[in-house]
Amino acid sequence: MEELIEKIKGSIQLSLEAEKYLISISKEKIVLKGSTLIRQGQTVNKVFFVTSGCLRSYCIDKNGKEHTLLFAIKNWWISDYIAIYSKEQASLTVECLSESHIIEFNAEVLDGMLTRFPELEPFQRKNHERHIVSLQKRILNQLQLTAAERYDWFLEQYGDIERYAPNYHIASYLGITQESLSRIRVNNAKK
Amino acid sequence: MKALQIEKYGDIIDSLAFNEIAKPTVLATDVLIEVKAAAINPIDKSIILGNLKGMLPIPLPSTVAYDVSGIVVETGKEVSNFEIGDLVYARVPQEQMGTIAEYVAVTNSAVSKKPGNISFEEAASIPLAGLTALQSLEHAGIKENDKVLIHAGSGGVGSFAIQYAKAKGAFVYTTTSTDNVQWVKELGADRVIDYKKEDYKTIVADADIVFDTLGKEYTSDAFTVIKTGGQVVSVAGPLDEESAKMFGMSDYKLPEELATLSKAKEASYSFIFMHPSGANLGEIKSMIEDEKIKPIIDKVYAFSDSIEAFTHLASGRAKGKIVVKIN
Repeated sequence: MEELIEKIKGSIQLSLEAEKYLISISKEKIVLKGSTLIRQGQTVNKVFFVTSGCLRSYCIDKNGKEHTLLFAIKNWWISDYIAIYSKEQASLTVECLSESHIIEFNAEVLDGMLTRFPELEPFQRKNHERHIVSLQKRILNQLQLTAAERYDWFLEQYGDIERYAPNYHIASYLGITQESLSRIRVNNAKK
Repeated sequence: MKALQIEKYGDIIDSLAFNEIAKPTVLATDVLIEVKAAAINPIDKSIILGNLKGMLPIPLPSTVAYDVSGIVVETGKEVSNFEIGDLVYARVPQEQMGTIAEYVAVTNSAVSKKPGNISFEEAASIPLAGLTALQSLEHAGIKENDKVLIHAGSGGVGSFAIQYAKAKGAFVYTTTSTDNVQWVKELGADRVIDYKKEDYKTIVADADIVFDTLGKEYTSDAFTVIKTGGQVVSVAGPLDEESAKMFGMSDYKLPEELATLSKAKEASYSFIFMHPSGANLGEIKSMIEDEKIKPIIDKVYAFSDSIEAFTHLASGRAKGKIVVKIN
């Protein structure tokens, strides 16, 4: 929890009262590799902040194949925001790729906190901004970059993610086959 | 629910029928799977023809096939390793046979999460052939640099076995017919022997392992190419004494010819009975996700065309697995 508090304090002034309240509505958890936090098709009311480890959100198409939307490592938030904001069933599954330390919040309670402590709004707005920027970049990259360029951007974004994520998840994030991913890596090694 | 059932033993078209039957009962250790795809295997044909009625007696009518992929929709009260919504695949145990149906109940120890990078149809094609190959080669203790001969490389079991043996670092010889040489080579086999043009017995020598998927003379000839102290594993030859005991034949003796050949080469002979195993399917899941093994599908049939799928299987011309898409 200290990590999140520190992160918040890094961008805004956090009153002691707000800090206590935030702690009271948070649930710190250790989740094991392979556990599922959100399941496609179910209702969702939780968001997660990652303090260590790695989580992944993905959808499963009608043929049963997985497509990775994003990975969440230290200091990332993850959930199914369509399900939360549009009150729909989850279109994503969120699973844990390695033993991870996370902080779980009820999305409505977290939202309610902003009314109660408006000082937190800039922090939340910044989070949303970063998230929108990241998603928009992801879409644009998918539309206009080559696979090798997308992989470079991916590494920039996620650093040492290859410690946690098997190749097929990375390939499915990039929308390429594992064979193409291997080729890109070989070419990068030659550079 | 709708299911494809054997109503009597005999010719495929006369024996199979679509029936409306009750959903299976879910025992405490079972998961109920909503079937997305099922695959068929040569054993299904043998069952329909009645060739196995002595060994595997089944009540008629019975729903057919063993391989399945789908979604868990219910879990028995003792099941803790699966949740509703899990995407899974399995080779169901004999007593739960019947995957060409809308639902099948399967004991949880036979089930594994399905590989995430392949479709339901591809996942359904794996279990029986994959488990047969894995368990046979593991029984023989396959290891890096072993010389392994795999017969019928284009078959469901053979094509999987080649990829599995290569993933384990073995040197793989395989036999197939002219038409299949190229794609079998692409599976990774080091030396593909076109049995129509070459005699494998003059090419393979001192093999560490022979995997016999054909039986008859191939079983005894395995001892010509095996090294001294090697391992012959078979899924098509005669029973060995240990497996005969499992069938209550305590006084069974290995046919004399095989016993003599085996003794002369100090090579062991084992008959492998594939057993359902969620744990083994979990290993296969990882190998598929790492792209060490790829599913090979000949054709996917709609549920309503599944009798045709069996006539295609009976033709023996399939290259890879035959799958039925249920839902």
